[in-house]
This record gives sequence, structure tokens and C-alpha cells, in this order.
Amino acid sequence: MRHFLGLVIVLVVLWGCSSDNGTTMSDDVDPGPPAQGFERRPMLVNWADNIIIPGYEAFTDELNKLQSAFDDFKQDSNEANLVAFRTAWLDAYLVWQRVDMFEIGPAENVGLRLNINIYPVDFAKVEEHVASGDYDLTLSSNRDTKGFPALDYLINGLGDSDADIVSKYNELASKDNYIAYVEAVLADMQQLSSTVLSDWKEGYRDTFVNNDGSSSTASVDRFVNDYIFYFEKFLRAGKMGIPLGVFSGTPIPENVEAYHKGDVSKQLFLEGLEAVQDFFNGRHFASSTIGEGLASYLDTLNALKEGEDLNRIINDQFDAARESVNGLGTFRTEIEDNTPPTTMLQAYDEVQRAVPLLKVDMVSAMSISIDFVDADGD
Amino acid sequence: MSFKKNLFLLIVVSLFVACSSDDNGDEMPDPIATCDDNEQNGDETGVDCGGSCTPCETAIENPSSYTFERNGESTVGFGGQTTRLLMGDELLGAFMDNTSTVEKLNAMFAHMEGEADFENADLNASDKNIRSKTAASADYFASNATDQALIRADFDSWINNQVTNVYPNWEVAAVAGSAGQIADGSSTRYISAKGLEYNQLFNKGLIGALTGDQVLNNYLSPAILDEGDNRANNDAGTVEDGKTYTKMEHKWDEAYGYVYGLNADPSNPNADLGADSFLNKYIGRVEGDDDFAGIADEIFEAFKLGRAAIVAQKYDVRDEQAEIIKEKISEIIGIRAVYYLQQGKNAIDQETPDFGGAFHDFSEGYGFIYSLQFTRKPGTETPYFSKAEVDAFLMDLMDDGENGLWDVTGETLDAISEAIAERFDFTVEQAGS
Repeated sequence: MRHFLGLVIVLVVLWGCSSDNGTTMSDDVDPGPPAQGFERRPMLVNWADNIIIPGYEAFTDELNKLQSAFDDFKQDSNEANLVAFRTAWLDAYLVWQRVDMFEIGPAENVGLRLNINIYPVDFAKVEEHVASGDYDLTLSSNRDTKGFPALDYLINGLGDSDADIVSKYNELASKDNYIAYVEAVLADMQQLSSTVLSDWKEGYRDTFVNNDGSSSTASVDRFVNDYIFYFEKFLRAGKMGIPLGVFSGTPIPENVEAYHKGDVSKQLFLEGLEAVQDFFNGRHFASSTIGEGLASYLDTLNALKEGEDLNRIINDQFDAARESVNGLGTFRTEIEDNTPPTTMLQAYDEVQRAVPLLKVDMVSAMSISIDFVDADGD
Repeated sequence: MSFKKNLFLLIVVSLFVACSSDDNGDEMPDPIATCDDNEQNGDETGVDCGGSCTPCETAIENPSSYTFERNGESTVGFGGQTTRLLMGDELLGAFMDNTSTVEKLNAMFAHMEGEADFENADLNASDKNIRSKTAASADYFASNATDQALIRADFDSWINNQVTNVYPNWEVAAVAGSAGQIADGSSTRYISAKGLEYNQLFNKGLIGALTGDQVLNNYLSPAILDEGDNRANNDAGTVEDGKTYTKMEHKWDEAYGYVYGLNADPSNPNADLGADSFLNKYIGRVEGDDDFAGIADEIFEAFKLGRAAIVAQKYDVRDEQAEIIKEKISEIIGIRAVYYLQQGKNAIDQETPDFGGAFHDFSEGYGFIYSLQFTRKPGTETPYFSKAEVDAFLMDLMDDGENGLWDVTGETLDAISEAIAERFDFTVEQAGS
């Protein structure tokens, strides 16, 4: 029954996509009985057309809105416009959590993740740049002075109150430099994200979808690696483990995401977790429609773990992780006010429990090998 | 901790030589029957030895940690080695400070007693320096001043190139054919026009030229251990003036210090491998590769047993241990050379080539290849690869195109990797991952 349903979904997705790319698709719309295995191409099509590209479109839209909110603030640097600018920043930051995991092809080419969201921001260096007006944001060594974390500092960290912050943008001595710096940071983000979006639309989409085999260089194998890498290193470790001190032995609260805002790290994490789960389920971007994805792949393979449906087990673990994190206060207060931050560590452990399910059980069912190991450093 | 010193684990390494070597001479009746009956009887001072039998051999007391004492005082000392490792670490830090000058880096490399070259005042007060011990072993360089000068000139040139070519381009993005910075994951690397990180060449080059050469070709060499009256003094337990150790003991410890001189507890160094940027760190890295797990213990045990053998005046056992150390430490250098070439090859060989990551790997690999000329093939007087062979590898690595590492091909990397692995007891596959 499950196989039959899988086939129906495969066909539906193929029909849906064949309209915009007819000739290359025709080979795959085979009315005959499919092989025992799972058809990877329709999943790639669903990922590219319904999740990744719409995700980058939404992200560039949000950056445009962020730009206009900043334009208003620049026009009149008052508290109300600061609040609106901050809201637009958070909205864009949340959509970023939806696309952060897609670090393959165009995003990998420009190094999008590390150009958009290295935290903690080096705010001393930001201040040097602001003061000197002399900086090249395209340099690798300046990645910790730009992107969302730099905006976090410039919107939330320049003073204790909104009045204090706004005053920085009104003082004759500093005003122009701060405005120019925010402008440069925004321009850099927009340039990078629009490059990635246009590369996806103009060529990489087909490259990605056509590389539909199963080998270490095939799109599915590579992307599943990138996806798990994101979950393990950036969602689990970056947003929780590192500030919790799981790796260093000492909590580092200033390493939470959006430290200067202080109370949104958890929200950003939860958005990232939901993006991971939605991607797993093949859910279309900002939609309730479910397409081919890792979940249906596992179902087609009839993958079980100790007699239980692996798809269900993984979804249940994502849910358990979400519930556990939901019960926390803000990450910053959890870490700063508790020694050790036991409750948040327990939530971290719940998030961690998804790692072996993805990295061992899921990939072995799909015959995908994990190609990343901990970086060797020097 | 102190009670541990008493907990010597007695391992009888060298059992008693059989006294019956003459029992097949039929015209000679066994002169003393008790020498071959597995009992201490007659005038024997041990089982079947001593007295009228052949002399008893002293058992080697092999302690569980690198702890040796005479009259209740430690006889282990390697302060000079610890000092040089600390100087090396500070110098490597200064390499990455783009306000350093050639003069400053040179002064750190060839420190003079009393000069304020380092942050650490103890280092400034020291009469030791690194440069004079670079390519300076008794076995390889005592009568090869030419290569010594050429090798030191290489290190000097890396300092010079860093300051004159890389620093001016610190705030510039590197592209093929011009120096600057390049991203490697979340790190930023600073490279030459041909993709080389001079600080890595310097660092990994010193692993061979300083630590490897001093250990394998100097302090573990009979030329040093048995120099002058060392054996007679060691046999008689004659210590150096004002010291607790014999000269031979101290020479062995100086070898030990170049490997373990910065460990938190140097008597039990495998607890925190990675305590310096040199051999210690990479013994730890190779140990971490399942293909070579156990190598750290083999090296440590050989150092310990060799030292215990000196105390027991068993010089053949000492030299056997030295041979093990020569082989294993040489292997560490060979394994890491191949590892970095292969890692860099993987970094380039993907849809989005990771040049920054690859150049970092290749620069480390370059230094390890350079270090191959200081390795020591056990049972010989020569390295696994001669200076000429090393120079040829490095030329191959850099000459696939006019822009050096920007142009290097997988074929070149594999060819060098294979050539290195072939001469050691490991495969490219084992070393490369």
C-alpha cells in the first residue's frame, strides 16, 4: 500500500513539473511499474522547485523589506523607525533560518552561510570599520563584521535603550559613518543572496535535478550530507551546544545567535528546527503541501528501526526536540542564570538524539555515505 | 602522585642468558652442572648465573611512567628543549601578526641571550635558540655544512617572503598569481601568489629540521650517546658536575624533551598529546587515525624502555629502542605528508573547489614533505628521502602551472603520495583519511 501511494505521489509530482521542463522529464514519466527503489529525481525536483528556490525568493524579498525599513530609518532616525527596522531584521533573520541549510552549489560558491551569519560578531572590529570608513566587506577576514550578527549589534547593541541607540544615528560625529556601514552590510547581503537566487534559476536548478543518480557526487547524496552537516554543526552545535559550553567545557553565553537582541535566539533556533523537519517531510516552502522528500523516501524503502517506522521515529524525535526547547526561557538567560544550565542541556540532548537517526539510520537505509568528519584544524 | 614513584613496575626485559651454550661440545664435558638446572645453587648469585657460571645480567627496571631517580632525586631534565618548543610556538604566533618585521622574526628565530625577543621573559633570559639547532644533528650535518646552510636559508626565506610578500597583501583577496587572504571554512588563510602559507612551511618544516633531526639523528645516535667517556661514566654511575644524571642519561632525555617537553605531566605525556605545535601534536593526530592507533604508545614505550636500559647499562636494548623511535617518528612525518596532500586533493576535487582549505592542507603537506629529509631509516645512516628527492617532490608540487598550487593536479598529488607511501610501511589510503 505504501509503495503504491509512493508511486502515486511520484507521478503527481512528475506531472506537475513536466510542464515547465517537458523534454528532459519525458524519460522519467514511465507508466510501467517502477523499480523496487525510490525515484530520486522527483524528490530533487520538489526540493529545487518547491522548497529551495521559493525559499531564496522569500529571503531576497525579506532583505528588500529590510532595506526599505532601513531607508525609512535613515530618512528619520527615530525610535519608531528603529523598532520597525528591528522587526524587519528579525523577519529576515527568521526566513534566513529557512534557507541556511541549502549550502550547496550557488550558496557554496559564494560561501553564503559564513558571509551572512558568523556569530558572535566582532563588534570591536565593526566599530573600527565604522570609525575609519575604510573596509572591504568582501574579504574573508571581515566575515565576522557583517551579515545578521553585525546588524544585531548595530540595531540592538549600540546602547542600553532605544533612545541611546537612536542617538548614535543622530550624533553629528557618528551618524554618517553608522548609516554608511549599515548600508554597506545590507548591500553585501543583498548582493550575495540575489547571486545565489539567480544562479539557482539560471542553470543550477537543472544541474542539481539532472544529477539524480546515487553516488557520492550525486545531488541527493551530497545534499543529504549538507543537510545533516547543517543540523549537526550549525543548528545543534552553533545555536545551542557552543554557547552551552558542550564542546569547550565552559558556557559562552555571548556566543548565542542574536546576542545583542538577547531574547530571540530560541525563536531563531525553533525556526531552523522546523525548517529541517519540513525539509525532511518534503513540505513545500510556506505551504501545507507535502511533496517527495526524505520521509517518503524512507517510506518507499520501508525503512524500519527496531521494527518501528523510521520516518515516524525521526519526526517524533524532531517533535520531542521542539517541545523540549519550547519549554526553555531565552537561551541567553538559561545560560547566564543557571550553573550549569541543566534544563537547556537536557533540551540540547533531545536535539542531539536526532543526529544518529539521520546520520546512521537514515543514510544507511538510503545507502548514502557520510563524507564529513570533524575539521582537522591545523 | 609521589607514591607512584615507588610503584615501579618491574618488567624483566632481558632474561638470563642461558649458560649452556657449550653443551653441544662433546669433547668438553659440562663443567658445572648447576649452571643449567633452573635453580640457584652452587655458588650462583642468581638462577644459573653468577659465581662459577656466566655473569648474571641486570634486569631492566622499566617504570610505568618516564620517571627516573638516583638517590631519591629525579635524573630527568630537558629544560633546553622545553625552552625551544616555547620559542617556536611564540615565533609561529608572531608569523601571523602582520605588524611583525623581518628583523623581529629573525631575532625570535636566532635569539640571543638577554634580548627582549619574546613575551615570555624566561625565554628572553635563555641562551638557547632555534636556528642554531635547525639542521644541526651530529649524524647528518656535522660534516655537511652546505646543506645545513641551504636549509637554514629556506627558513630565512620563508620569514622574508611572509613579511615582504604576504603582509602587504593582508587586506587583499588572494587570486591565482597574487598574494592575499582566502577563506578556509570559517578561518582566513594568508597565502603567497602561488598559494603557499609560509607560516605552515615554517612550522611543519621545523618538525623535521628541528625536532625530528635533533631526536632521530642527534640525541638518539650512538655518536652522541656514547661520545667520549659517556659509556664508562654511565657504567660507573658518574654523574655530571652538580647534576643528578650521567651524560648519557641526559642526552636521551634531551631527545625525549623535543617530543614531550610541553606536556602537562611530561612523565605521562600521552594523556595530553597536542601540547605543542610540533611532533607532539602530530603524534596525537596520527594516533587519532584508526589505521595507526597505538603508535603514540609505541613511541613512548620505546623512549621509556630505552632510558631504563641506559640505567641498566644495556646498550643493545637502548639502541633497539632508538631504532623503534626512529622508525615510528619518521612514519609520523611520512603519514602526515600524504594525509595533507590527499585532504587537499579532496578539497579541490568537488563541484565547488575549496581552494582555501586545499592550500592550507598543501602548505602543511609541503612542510611535512620538507621534513622527510630529516627522517631516519632504521638500521641505516640515511633518511627515508634524501634532500634531492625532497626538493624534487616540492618542485613537482609547485610546477603544474605558472601559479603553483592554484594549478596543481590530482595526478601530481597522487604521484607524490604514492612515492612517499611506497617507501614506508603504510598505504596512501591508510594515511590519506
